[in-house]
Amino acid sequence: MPGLAREGEVRDMEDRSAGMLTEKMEEYLEALFKLGREESALTPTRLAEYMKVTPPTALDMLRRLEKEGYIRYQGPGTGKGRGVGSGKAKRIIVLTPKGERVARTLIRRHRLSERFLTDMLGLDWESAHREACRLEHVISPEVEEKLSKVLGNPETCPHGYPIPDENGNMAEEEIKPLCDFCPDEKGCIARVEEEEPQLLQYLASLGVMPDVDVEVTEVAPFGGPLLVRIGDAQYALGREVAAKIWTRKGPGRGRGRGKGPGPRRGHAGR
Amino acid sequence: MQVLEELEKLHARADYVFALAGNPNVGKSTIFGRITGLGVMTANYPGMTVELNLALTEFEGRRLGIVDLPGTYALGAVSEDQLVARRGVLQGKPDVVIVILDANNLARNLYLLLQFLDLGFPVVAALNLVDQAEKSGIHTDVGLLSEYLGVPVVPTVGVRGDGLNQLMAQAVEVAELKEEYPVIPFSYAMDIETRLRRLARRIQGEMKDLPYGISPRALAILLLEEDREFVEWMQGREEGRKILEYARRLASEIEGEHGEKAPVILARERHGIAGSIAEGVQVRQEYRKPLLGERLWEYTTSFRTGLPILVLALGAVFGALFWGGGELASLFSRFWENLVSNPLGRLLDSALGANLLSRTILWGVDGLGAVLEIALPYLLVFYVILAVMEDSGYLNAVAFLTDRLMHRLGLHGRAIIPMITAVGCNVPAVMGTRVLSTRRERVIACALIVLVPCSARVAVIMGGVARFVGWPYALLLFAVLLLLVVGAGLLLNHVLPGESAGLVMEMFPFRAPSLANIARKTWLRIRDFLYIAAPLIVAGSVALGLLYESGWIEHLVGPLRPLTEWWLGIPAVAGLALVLGFLRKELALALLVVLAARVIPGVTESSTLLDFMTRGQIFTFVLVCSIYIPCVATLAVLWRELGPRDSLLVAASTVVLALLLGGLSHLVVALL
Repeated sequence: MPGLAREGEVRDMEDRSAGMLTEKMEEYLEALFKLGREESALTPTRLAEYMKVTPPTALDMLRRLEKEGYIRYQGPGTGKGRGVGSGKAKRIIVLTPKGERVARTLIRRHRLSERFLTDMLGLDWESAHREACRLEHVISPEVEEKLSKVLGNPETCPHGYPIPDENGNMAEEEIKPLCDFCPDEKGCIARVEEEEPQLLQYLASLGVMPDVDVEVTEVAPFGGPLLVRIGDAQYALGREVAAKIWTRKGPGRGRGRGKGPGPRRGHAGR
Repeated sequence: MQVLEELEKLHARADYVFALAGNPNVGKSTIFGRITGLGVMTANYPGMTVELNLALTEFEGRRLGIVDLPGTYALGAVSEDQLVARRGVLQGKPDVVIVILDANNLARNLYLLLQFLDLGFPVVAALNLVDQAEKSGIHTDVGLLSEYLGVPVVPTVGVRGDGLNQLMAQAVEVAELKEEYPVIPFSYAMDIETRLRRLARRIQGEMKDLPYGISPRALAILLLEEDREFVEWMQGREEGRKILEYARRLASEIEGEHGEKAPVILARERHGIAGSIAEGVQVRQEYRKPLLGERLWEYTTSFRTGLPILVLALGAVFGALFWGGGELASLFSRFWENLVSNPLGRLLDSALGANLLSRTILWGVDGLGAVLEIALPYLLVFYVILAVMEDSGYLNAVAFLTDRLMHRLGLHGRAIIPMITAVGCNVPAVMGTRVLSTRRERVIACALIVLVPCSARVAVIMGGVARFVGWPYALLLFAVLLLLVVGAGLLLNHVLPGESAGLVMEMFPFRAPSLANIARKTWLRIRDFLYIAAPLIVAGSVALGLLYESGWIEHLVGPLRPLTEWWLGIPAVAGLALVLGFLRKELALALLVVLAARVIPGVTESSTLLDFMTRGQIFTFVLVCSIYIPCVATLAVLWRELGPRDSLLVAASTVVLALLLGGLSHLVVALL
């Protein structure tokens, strides 16, 4: 098991400065960590999709990461580690503890940077996100610590995602994407992913926005679309759209009086 | 047509201009059809495929111009239909905007109405589908709704025409007595409202003329919503850039306080207001029996029952096509022969004598006959069925059921509609790809559509393969075509950059379709086909006739020889029939016999295909015929929808594909 072989040898982020991890590798680890929390079985295809690269490129990087001991790449269920790129069966990617540490640190630095950029420098969310993507790779542990202190040890980034603490622990919010719902399951939208502002605004105009109650009435098999009831309307949402809508349990918090999507602060307008 | 010109013309000819707006599926087109009749003009913005419908009508002695905006949920700049709706109303400067609301889903429908108030337009609301809402236990207090909104509200049932006279009378009154119906803006939450007013005041103080002449308040709202079009407009002006900076600061203040982006907050505000108004004016009966339409609808969208129903429905559609279309076809053809083509032929003969000119003209007449006998009957039946499926809401269920499959092909569920249309005729199917939102999807859909056998190609397959080679081989050919469609979709999805847009589609329970609306839709579609396809088919026929009657056609046989005899293994004359099939595909078989009679010794015009071709050759011939570019009319609409580059690319790849498979078929036939 090549992935486990050198695990434990590496403890600290110092290795990173020793030139073992490139910026690209860090980005992959971060992506793997984020995807790993969202999906049960993480495949190279999904990773390539997320990173917007071709599957061979992603596979290449996975091989490197496995060689360095940041990930394991294994068949589902068997638990047996195998080399990258052999066999046709769908295999999943798992971060080693070492890889996970790196990823959590990166996410912490990213989200702290975002806080800093929005709260202190007054950047808007989108630019803050872009800048933070670059900053996260160059922040040293010392700066990270000072930054957190100056900002008053914030718990969430401006977008509302939790910031891991210095040991990498993250406050868990029980949220799951709408695409994981069963028929007749109800929930409340927690957030809509913001990578596509167009989709976000379009969904918002339909009333699909945070703190709105949703009910899934029908789920088409084989990864087909979902029938979703929101207020008085029913929508068919493709799986890939539903994957961008995150929900939590229970009814919305600050709903208006209407059955439809209400204002967050429950005010009535005229 | 240029939109601005058309709108100006409309203003010049009408006393008042009304815009008709509403969400999709609220019965807007039914109401538009009822108040205007058939005299509809369509206009396109350059580079956009969503159309504006314009019409001139009369009401109680006044000439009214009606601008039918595309059905949308909102007026943002996020999708083409929204952008066209907004531009249509901003440039159309209607005296009144008639907003059609669905009484079954008032909260979400009010959102659009609030946006028109934001833009500062006088609004009259039509509360449509009230009958259906009452049936499902929703009662609306119309007076209270009007009071809350500050605009007149008229209850209507568009399908029956109930309330439409009152609606028009009300709209005319608002247009005439502008002072008595002032536009009262609704107010947002205090903190947002204050910022809006500050921004509006600055705009008023510093900007001289505003885009489309909108109010400072309207512009302020649009800027806080980070609307692309207006932000760009502001960036183009020096004073605009300063205001834009100010607007951005205000937006980020809002974002800081609410934890969400300003556009989302504004949308949330409007939804909140719409929701509380709807809640305040509607009474609901909580427990009630689901209506028949709702229960049926559940059966069609649930997978276990929905798929068998879909198969049955498709079977019924094809059955109706073959039976109904066939009956109509023989009816039309009798009518055409007895009343037009035979008398005309005699007339031409006696007037001009039997020469090149008169015979060529007869080919053209015959082309027109083909439109009437072959295309029109099937299209007529098909479009009626399509309109029923659309208006009842069943097509939405079909789109839902097939979304997964279509997704693999790089499309989504809504693309099933043009794909089904293609079975009738590729021309309207290609035009129907406008319902798809991205260019990538439109290209893929068009490429797949041209591979779907239309009624003309089905006729060739039946008349050639089924008749002379045998039924199993005809089925094999259909299977090959199906595989090609799927394969091409998988390939294009893989090759083309980008990914297919996700499906976001409103679903609504079944509604009884209105006869008038079905007739209207069918007519408009047939009219499109007649305008575009018929002239090309007639022109193609004349060209074909000229080639044939003058005898030049025989000189074309030689150059084709290597391709046909060596590569496809069919007689050279068959290659000629294939080439000319581009002009009239359904004639490919008939042409083949006629040409063979001229070129191959011993073959007469009454010979059958088997007299000069083997069964294998017939199969190869029909296979190639059904794959390469459908026809000149399809190529023309492809050109119009996709532009020269992509349309030629699609056409060329079908030719290559046809030749490849034809060659393969030749090989297999030779081996057997």
